[in-house]
Amino acid sequence: MGAEVLIGLPGVVRPASSAARVEVEVDGRALALHVVGAGLACCSVELMAAALRSERAREAGILPVPDGAEPADVLVVSGTCTDVLAPALRDLHASLPEGTPVLSFGACASSGGPYWDSYAVTKGVDQLIPVDVYVPGCPPRPEALADGLRRLPGASS
Amino acid sequence: MSGIVDAVRAALGDDTVAVVAGLGPVSAEVPASAWAAALEAAKAAGATYADFLTAWDELDAGIVVVAHVSTPDAADHVLLRTRVPSDDPVLDTSIGVYRGLAWHERETHDFFGVRFAGHEPLEPLLIQPELGLHPLRKDVVLASRAARPWPGEKEPGAEAAPARRGGRRRTAPLGVPDGWVQGEEGGA
Amino acid sequence: MTADAVPVRSRGVISLVEENCTVCMLCARECPDWCIHIEGHTVTHPADEVHRRPRTENVLDRFAIDFSLCLYCGICIEVCPFDALHWSPEHSYAGGSIAELTHERGRLAGWEATAPQPADRDA
Repeated sequence: MGAEVLIGLPGVVRPASSAARVEVEVDGRALALHVVGAGLACCSVELMAAALRSERAREAGILPVPDGAEPADVLVVSGTCTDVLAPALRDLHASLPEGTPVLSFGACASSGGPYWDSYAVTKGVDQLIPVDVYVPGCPPRPEALADGLRRLPGASS
Repeated sequence: MSGIVDAVRAALGDDTVAVVAGLGPVSAEVPASAWAAALEAAKAAGATYADFLTAWDELDAGIVVVAHVSTPDAADHVLLRTRVPSDDPVLDTSIGVYRGLAWHERETHDFFGVRFAGHEPLEPLLIQPELGLHPLRKDVVLASRAARPWPGEKEPGAEAAPARRGGRRRTAPLGVPDGWVQGEEGGA
Repeated sequence: MTADAVPVRSRGVISLVEENCTVCMLCARECPDWCIHIEGHTVTHPADEVHRRPRTENVLDRFAIDFSLCLYCGICIEVCPFDALHWSPEHSYAGGSIAELTHERGRLAGWEATAPQPADRDA
């Protein structure tokens, strides 16, 4: 799947084999993004790069924050959504709390990208779920992710 | 020359094997009826590793199915190929000789419609069955490209001086066959 | 996050030097994604004492790139015979809608300021 699920529900842990925790500081406000990823498409790799607390990620503005950071619910869709996958993505969004902001990461998730002419690709996940922020790129850098997160409704205090 | 090719020629007869040498591995084309025998001969000669099996569409000349087989150290490797008619593409399965080509036969069926006798049912792998087409066949057109207006079609002042057909400038986008663009004579 | 924070030759966004564009349409035709939208018209200058024959000139009306589709291959930059397109490391241009990801000539020209300039070979 090319979708990352962020589950900030207090007290709820969703079991997954490839869970990661991303602490992001956005305009001074600490957000803890719980990421459950099984991404195959290329944009997910950039999301993983953003999630790793490497020195490069720190330089990009993705900083470790102390425990007790406020959890956030954001659905980041990164990667090409094929027509076969579309129902699963819809179900995933439906399983999240209502009003969860959605960030479309990369060209394929935003519009189908280079595969707009394919017989098998959904031309943008906004055909399936409501999207709040579109981050262009193929793939976008971690710095572009930080910029996109900054534009989420409610991100700036 | 390749020891594998020699073994295939010995098993099938020199006349039935057409060898094409070029860049990269040697290609040996055999008749479709001798496909399984060719694979068996190759494997017996030491080509115990099958890398992939795929196909391409040569329109009137049929669909070419190709398998890449090699010795485990890759010192000797060959592209074995055969040809099936486009309107009824049936070929003996390879999985009796190379079990690992099962996935590839399912993929080749998805994309080209080639049916592999002895491998039924060819479970759909990547293509939704409801799609109803084999996308890599050349008679399948990417309809999106024909339907969407091409930004490169406009010329400055186009209304005053429409682009000449046949000039050096490309006047239709790649991937759209002649006659598919709206507005052309005989177009869809 | 400024463009300075990333490597200067990052493929962040495509910038336009409007004066160099002759509306030859090569970038729009070669773009594999069909995401460059160009409109122009021709202007004919009559003959005068300096120019003995009338001249026609292309004038650029619209140059837009739809970054929701762009795959950042750089073919447009490479194919432009007049060096009108460049890479810029700018990456902060996410939007709230697909329409906000199509940028017109003004914005594209603005990004030229962050595009790295070639080294001075004569120095």
